[in-house]
Amino acid sequence: MKKVLAVIVACVVAGAAFAAGSNELVINSYMSDQAPKETFQKVVDAFQAKNPDIKVTVNTTAHEQFKTLLPSWLTSKQAPDVVTWFAGYRMQSFAEKGMLEPINEVFPGGSFEAEFPGAFKGPSSYNGNVYFMPQSWYWWAVYYNKNVFAKLGLSIPKTSEEFLVICEKIKAAGIAPIAIGAKDTWTAGGWFDYMNSAVNGGDAHVKLTKGEVPYTDASVKKSFGYIAELSKRGYFMPNAASYSWQEAASVMFRGEAAMYLMGQFIKDVAPADVKDSIDFFKFPVFEGRTEYSVDTPTDGFMIPKNAKNKEAAKKFMAYLATAEAQEAFCKPLGRLAANKKVAVPNADAKRGLDMVLGAKSAMQFYDRDAPEEMAAKGMNAIVDIIANPAQLDTVLTALDKERVRIYAK
Amino acid sequence: MTLKKDKLLPWAFLALPLAMYLIWVILPVFQSLLFSLTHRDTIMYGRKFIGLGNFVRLVQDPQFHIALANNLVWLVFFVGIPIPLGLGIAMLFNQEYPGARLYKTLFYVPMTLSFAVIGTIWAWIYHPDFGALNTVLRLLGLEGATRQWLGDKRYMTLALVFVGVWRQVPYVMILYLAGLKNVPEELVEAAMIDGASWGQRFRHVVIPMLAPATVVAVTISVIDSLRAFDIVYVMTNTKARAAEVLASYMYSSAFHYQDYGYGSAIAVVQFAITFAFIVAYVNNTLKNELQR
Repeated sequence: MKKVLAVIVACVVAGAAFAAGSNELVINSYMSDQAPKETFQKVVDAFQAKNPDIKVTVNTTAHEQFKTLLPSWLTSKQAPDVVTWFAGYRMQSFAEKGMLEPINEVFPGGSFEAEFPGAFKGPSSYNGNVYFMPQSWYWWAVYYNKNVFAKLGLSIPKTSEEFLVICEKIKAAGIAPIAIGAKDTWTAGGWFDYMNSAVNGGDAHVKLTKGEVPYTDASVKKSFGYIAELSKRGYFMPNAASYSWQEAASVMFRGEAAMYLMGQFIKDVAPADVKDSIDFFKFPVFEGRTEYSVDTPTDGFMIPKNAKNKEAAKKFMAYLATAEAQEAFCKPLGRLAANKKVAVPNADAKRGLDMVLGAKSAMQFYDRDAPEEMAAKGMNAIVDIIANPAQLDTVLTALDKERVRIYAK
Repeated sequence: MTLKKDKLLPWAFLALPLAMYLIWVILPVFQSLLFSLTHRDTIMYGRKFIGLGNFVRLVQDPQFHIALANNLVWLVFFVGIPIPLGLGIAMLFNQEYPGARLYKTLFYVPMTLSFAVIGTIWAWIYHPDFGALNTVLRLLGLEGATRQWLGDKRYMTLALVFVGVWRQVPYVMILYLAGLKNVPEELVEAAMIDGASWGQRFRHVVIPMLAPATVVAVTISVIDSLRAFDIVYVMTNTKARAAEVLASYMYSSAFHYQDYGYGSAIAVVQFAITFAFIVAYVNNTLKNELQR
């Protein structure tokens, strides 16, 4: 493992060093899945055709390794010129340390707002400067197997009461009501975001991810308690902790589970013949609170402070911001473009967009809104609660100790 | 003049490897020691010393206690099982009979696979719903014995240790097979003529002659158990708090959470424990060398 990392670092450093000599643009990307990787390459090729004097190199690193390596790239004197990253806290924590280059002036329309919805500016900025170029975003929702719902004659649940009723019916039919691939603990992060914001409201949820509310608070206990209750009633699929997110998804594709709280990318892994029988609905209303929040993780790009070729990097950023470049990336992948001039790619995305526009507030995702360590421990806690709901209080007490330490800095 | 040259020449040859060893091995050890006394962001964003703060946190950290206890489990099983089992298999293969070579090779196969491959395969075997282990148990009518091997806190570490042991046994076997080649035939025959039974020959001739091989096998198993990481990382996604060992906890603290100071502190503890065993081993080897 370490050797692999070392080789990757060596290659990247060597690549960056080489770039220093000529007009080369080095992009480090985490888009390692086949579809996004190829689509991004097309965007790069189009930029290359417009700028023949710049030689563009894309270094692709697997997602998890990328997250581990990024801090060392940003602090390196041989930093890449452009890197992929996430909007929100995860970007801001780098900006706070002075490791990013502001990109206020690169927007082709003259300002951030000329290209993107105003709501995106907050998660893309720190202290009044824009550091992040949003590219695509997607939504999280409750995905479900339409065939299972049709077979059992179920309709879409709008409230928690209706949700519990259909869970019971599904369970009685010998099908797991809720799929979750808890081996990838981030799948529990969606439950944290949606349950806590549904029960306590978006503002309270933001306070929690900022570390301002104890995890032992009665409000948090209540929302985690709902998750524990679903587990006590046996609504989560058995052996969830042994399934990766894709494995759990295929359980739902096969009709052995009915619902899965997941990001839009679940469609990427659905086989062609079941794609059309998978649909989504909005997370149900809890405790009569009709205002809701949605997870809308936004992916994009930043320029490291130590980038060698900032001029080319900014040119590339300006191109990435255009409707043309955003459409070229988002349309084939069925994601929503950040640029507001890009048309919605399909009917699915239109419904996703409507759901987001109807929301009172948007979240990036637990592990993007909170420090990674806090999110990792929080997601572990939810997995523990699902596995062992009786331990709720013990788990939350331990989690809050971590909160106190992590936010103390 | 010649004397001086004789003394200098080896050092001239050693200079480059020694310098590399100093820079890439010895220096980082001391750097880790230094980092372990600093605040989380130290390596990346400027140094801030906090004394023994990280070590105080270690003492109070329940997750660290779990990792330490798990390493102890690894150690006990890594010494307790592969040594006698490896010796037994080696004794079995030390005789000539048809197919001995084939069996030897088959036993050695796990050693040729990387931990990543082994971990992936065993993660499938352990899968509660479609894995081989639970499937076999169900076929035998032992539904009650099926477990969520890698998802249930209680079985995780043992399930992982088993895989490690499975790979360690052939390693120890090879060490003992080599050792057995050094046991002089005449010595065993002499004991036979003196009327020693098989058990007596084994106990009083073979075992003592195998002492050097045993020292190597035990030391290597101890060190391997302390640096257990690959299997834990591959099979549990490193998010398995219950199966965490020192190396994996060090990795996630330093590289996932960017808490380099704390990660270094864990590394220092791991180093200290391993170092104690290495000193004992080197001490033992040197003593034997000097006796000869």
